[in-house]
Amino acid sequence: MSGPNEDNLSPHTQLSSHFFGDLLDSIIVDVASECHRIAKLGLDRNLEEEEEELRLSTQARVRVADPSNSGETNSKYVVDIFGQTHPPVANEIFECMNCGRSIMAGRFAPHLEKCMGKGRKARLKATRSSTAAQNRYSRGSPVSTYSPHSNSSSTNRLSNGTPGIAGEEYSNGTLEEP
Amino acid sequence: MSSKINRHHYHHRFNAQIFPPPCPHLAEFRARNGSKPFRALQDCLRAKSPGGRAAIRRDPSEVPRCGACGESARPRLYACVACAAISCHAPPGPSHAAVHATSMPPGHEIAVDVDRAELFCCACRDQIYDRDFDAAVVLSQITTLNSATIQSTKPENLRKRRRVDYRPWSPDLRDRVLMESGSSPLDYGSDMPRGLRGLNNLGNTCFMNSVLQALLHTPPLRNYFLSDRHNRYYCKQKNGVTNTNADGKRNACTGDGNGEKNARLCLACDMDAMFSAVFSGDRRPYSPAKFLYSWWQHASNLASYEQQDAHEFFISMLDGIHEKVEKDLRKPHNQGHGDCCIAHRVFSGILRSDVMCMACGFTSTTYDPCVDISLDLESHHGGSAKSASTKTHHSCNGEADSINSGQNCGISTLMGCLDRFTRPERLGADQKFFCQQCQVRQESLKQMSIRKLPLVSCFHIKRFEHSSIRKMSRKIDRYLQFPFSLDMTPYLSSSILRSRFGNRIFPFDGDEPDASNEMSSEFELFAVVTHTGKLDAGHYVTYLRLSNQWYKCDDAWVTQVNENIVRAAQGYMIFYVQKMFYYKPSENQVAS
Repeated sequence: MSGPNEDNLSPHTQLSSHFFGDLLDSIIVDVASECHRIAKLGLDRNLEEEEEELRLSTQARVRVADPSNSGETNSKYVVDIFGQTHPPVANEIFECMNCGRSIMAGRFAPHLEKCMGKGRKARLKATRSSTAAQNRYSRGSPVSTYSPHSNSSSTNRLSNGTPGIAGEEYSNGTLEEP
Repeated sequence: MSSKINRHHYHHRFNAQIFPPPCPHLAEFRARNGSKPFRALQDCLRAKSPGGRAAIRRDPSEVPRCGACGESARPRLYACVACAAISCHAPPGPSHAAVHATSMPPGHEIAVDVDRAELFCCACRDQIYDRDFDAAVVLSQITTLNSATIQSTKPENLRKRRRVDYRPWSPDLRDRVLMESGSSPLDYGSDMPRGLRGLNNLGNTCFMNSVLQALLHTPPLRNYFLSDRHNRYYCKQKNGVTNTNADGKRNACTGDGNGEKNARLCLACDMDAMFSAVFSGDRRPYSPAKFLYSWWQHASNLASYEQQDAHEFFISMLDGIHEKVEKDLRKPHNQGHGDCCIAHRVFSGILRSDVMCMACGFTSTTYDPCVDISLDLESHHGGSAKSASTKTHHSCNGEADSINSGQNCGISTLMGCLDRFTRPERLGADQKFFCQQCQVRQESLKQMSIRKLPLVSCFHIKRFEHSSIRKMSRKIDRYLQFPFSLDMTPYLSSSILRSRFGNRIFPFDGDEPDASNEMSSEFELFAVVTHTGKLDAGHYVTYLRLSNQWYKCDDAWVTQVNENIVRAAQGYMIFYVQKMFYYKPSENQVAS
């Protein structure tokens, strides 16, 4: 590797240029040698396919964002593929398997919550009793139990950077029998 | 869709790699000398640092010089395998290596790069590859590292059961009589895919509906239940309970639904009932009320009317199916073989974790089962979207970053997340790991890989971020690209290990001598659970792929959508199934 005006450069600069050139050449050969091996042994990833997928996704996003395209409409007022329409709140009626009352489908969960004595309101009543201490160990505080988020402690197991607990079995770790 | 580039043309595969045929000079060399000269080099292979690249040195302090010109600073110096003469090769300048090959009697064409431990044919002027040489290099590195496998669980299931050919079965006359005696065939009037049916929202239960839709169309799970492998009537009979409603009424006032009801609790039975209902041909939306009831009894701490997390539900459900397997037959899940229950048979894989001491190279390996993989989205926008196909094994020396191909298009991709999941990561000074060999805490390098792929891979994208410090949570809406076809090969333990050891030809952990191994790493997308809206006021929807047609399952509303909608959607849980199943002989005795 020669500088622009080699004659004008001091011997020191020439020497350091020379060393730099050798190092650079060596690194280039490192990469070339590794790539050569990967290609010859068929270990390279199928970049064509990956790029194709990427291209299709980009294209899809453009098309979906285009307002002139008939995008997804609000499903609630649409006819489904079987030609049926449905009310916003499900109106099928069935018997509650806990108390036997007739309940409308769309209101079943809130009914069941009270019926089974679960849920925050029922819980807060119970918290004042001995179950409070128990709750503390199941997934943190009672408040976080109801958070609609994934429990970070169960997913940390798989994230990089978790120090030294490789022996821990991956489990949700929080489900306790009542 | 895209065309697949066929790489399999004329090379044959060994241990899931191509094994290139030797050049005529190498072939002749091997014919004359066998593999002894390569194996003899093992004594000269030295790594500069633990986990570093192997170099050829006759003694540790040797400075190799070209025999012809005396240069030691050439980027490439080759030692002749036959006579150990060192020559340089510096195109476009002189190649003393080539001169050596031609000036000597035949048999001096094969040389080895002294710094990189790569074989070179001076006549062909090209780098060549040899299995025995590579084995020598790997063995020298392994010996240096003195690694040990500390296994928290012995992966028993990794014993190889031979594969058998699929034998199609159809019912004979006696079978037909049996089948038809108590049933009548379903009449699927239209061409609509079977099993496609809306699920009623029972009150903020879209988190449950979305996961259920994915599971109802998870091929091995669907096949299991539709093949009557868990018969709810038989299961009820075995547990000796007749009528739950009566019990229910009696226990209504106790408030926590324990005792008698639990004896009857079987999520698998409820799943069986759901499969029957959904595949019955009735297209009116189904209410998974009984299932909700059962699940709330199983996961009482999650039993509330508020919106839940779909992923949490998924994990809880699988656990519920596992719990209720007959106690006598119940095997613990810690082995990861999935023999315990259908939930684990379908979703369970094995992760391998390697922690390498950066001082001495001692590597501690553990295996753990997992039912899904949770992936972080990059915290900053424009993080590396694609890693290059070359991951230099220098990364074990300390550089935690893999080389970027430079094609950073700024989109997050699923494969990018998987690259990050499996890259070597330096455990910082505050996370020192106790090294068995050094007997002190040392800075270490940790790397994850997949030892065994599950039949169905569920990727959970961590879009919900909690900060206990700031006492806030937020949702990450950033788009994540995911492919319709996914090749998991780069993330297998065999690939990761191979890359760590310089991509040598060597059977690494997980390599199967089965030529069809590469196909079991190919996965196909079949379901995507998406979340739209805010953290606490959002909505889950599932997209299903049936007969290469996409359907949107939004609670009770099932509609057909274009694949572009799916590609552009915000994936939260992404489900892939192995493209090809293999059959192993059953361990159960079957009456003939």
